Amino acid sequence: MDEPILKIEKLSHVYSPGTPFETTALRDVDLEIYKGEILGIIGHTGSGKSTLIQHLNALIKPTSGRILLNGHDINESKQSVREVRSRVGLVFQYPEYQLFEETVKKDIAFGPRNMKLPQEEIDRRVMEAARFCGVEEELLDRAPFDLSGGQKRRVAIAGVIAMMPEVLVLDEPMAGLDPRGREEIMENILAYHNETGAAIVIVTHSMEEAARHAGRMAVLEHGTVAMSGTPEEVFSHGEQLRQMGLATPVMTDVADKLCKLGVKLAGTVYTVEQMVDALMALEGGRRDAS
Amino acid sequence: MLRDITLGQFFPGSTVVHRLDPRTKIMMVVVYIAALFNAKSWVSYGVVLAFLVFSIAVSRIRLSAMLRGLKPIVFIVVLTSLLNLLYARGEDVIAHWWIFTITRQGVKAAILMAARLIMLVMGTFMLTYTTSPIMLTYGLELLMNPLKKLKVPVHELAMMMSMALRLIPTLIEETDKIMSAQKARGAEFDTGNLIEKAKAMLPVLVPLFLSSFRRADELATAMEARCYHGGEGRTRLNVLKFARRDYLAFAAGLLLLAAVIVLARLGL
Repeated sequence: MDEPILKIEKLSHVYSPGTPFETTALRDVDLEIYKGEILGIIGHTGSGKSTLIQHLNALIKPTSGRILLNGHDINESKQSVREVRSRVGLVFQYPEYQLFEETVKKDIAFGPRNMKLPQEEIDRRVMEAARFCGVEEELLDRAPFDLSGGQKRRVAIAGVIAMMPEVLVLDEPMAGLDPRGREEIMENILAYHNETGAAIVIVTHSMEEAARHAGRMAVLEHGTVAMSGTPEEVFSHGEQLRQMGLATPVMTDVADKLCKLGVKLAGTVYTVEQMVDALMALEGGRRDAS
Repeated sequence: MLRDITLGQFFPGSTVVHRLDPRTKIMMVVVYIAALFNAKSWVSYGVVLAFLVFSIAVSRIRLSAMLRGLKPIVFIVVLTSLLNLLYARGEDVIAHWWIFTITRQGVKAAILMAARLIMLVMGTFMLTYTTSPIMLTYGLELLMNPLKKLKVPVHELAMMMSMALRLIPTLIEETDKIMSAQKARGAEFDTGNLIEKAKAMLPVLVPLFLSSFRRADELATAMEARCYHGGEGRTRLNVLKFARRDYLAFAAGLLLLAAVIVLARLGL
């Protein structure tokens, strides 16, 4: 891990200051996002996740603190705000409800067109984004409203990918999809990540998904970063996570229960594969002993 | 930015004014307006003003909230009183300049006209500030009930009104969300000339319309799933009943109207 591409410094945000509705959504958040990493942000509803990610591309201005993109404050000028919008791509929850153009192609092209790119470049990016997101060519000339739910979601994500952001931020990208749809979306995101080396930030409720793909995780609670680190580090605080109302991965729960029953597993376990390994090691150990 | 629009003008509370039957309050507003328009002199205006001040005091609505609501009509108030000031006919000339003549009658007309407009708006605020939208539509529905004989779909109208009121905050939230999402794709809403700005709204309006239709569809299904079939035979959770305070309020309202009419007869 080298230079952070996005650096969040002492970020605080207060909604409706000076009114009876005043609420502090974020308090002194420090977070770094490195080039080419996958960061999972988890937190309970109302923990400030959505507020945080909307700061990343200057949709919301910080009450105090700043966000640096490659060392430059993104809220410095109109120009810097415009720039960060395309360099940090933000996919909202249920992005399929934002489709509006007559054809899929035009909708994907909306972002690049706003960037005032030449027409050939726009076309190239649309094709590329469609490829990343598994949007078949024959769909490009159809109306987005004729597509299935999963297809619409992928078209919407392609609309953000078409801007070729260096950081792709997704808010619950898999919410409301069936297991197959979830799998496909995750593959699309990973394909973009692997081919372009873009950093990915995924906001999620699902510990399993975060655990499987994220290299690093940040846990938000009451507007502060309560924990951050590798999945191993974060899941080793199982009890604390449960107190925050966050479910630990099923395999971690099983490991904890086994521990209470007197079966000690080595290391932190949070995927099925790790569980198998840990159990095999245990089995092996016993066999050696006997 | 859209959150700043204050649509929910209702300030919840539990004062006598809040607890009055919505029908009483609607009729009181009508009586109050009648009294206000019958007032001709300083004295009768004073009587109406006293009534207004009394009800504001009882309802414990902060004066700042009342004044904030007056902002949109400032222009109209200033314009009408200016016209009255300059064009009212009278003999007692106070000042004369070029083609403008200001008379004592003009000054009086200007002040009274401004007072009438402000008091009119404040009086109606008393209704909307102290009555929840649901109670307001229920009250209207009951008051319009006789119109059913003329085949006016009273229940349907009231239902539509309450649903529209219910959905306004939802739609504002939705608009906010869609605007943010399109901004994230580089859309700009505050640059360019009027035509460009209107065009820039398209990416917001299309999804907004679609989601409104979807919402309406879902709502209709949800209502039918709970056996909604129009107003026929429908019962209420809270049935409105006139209480003692309602009769007292009526009496006060009628007294006000009578007082103003008598004062007018006496030439005051």
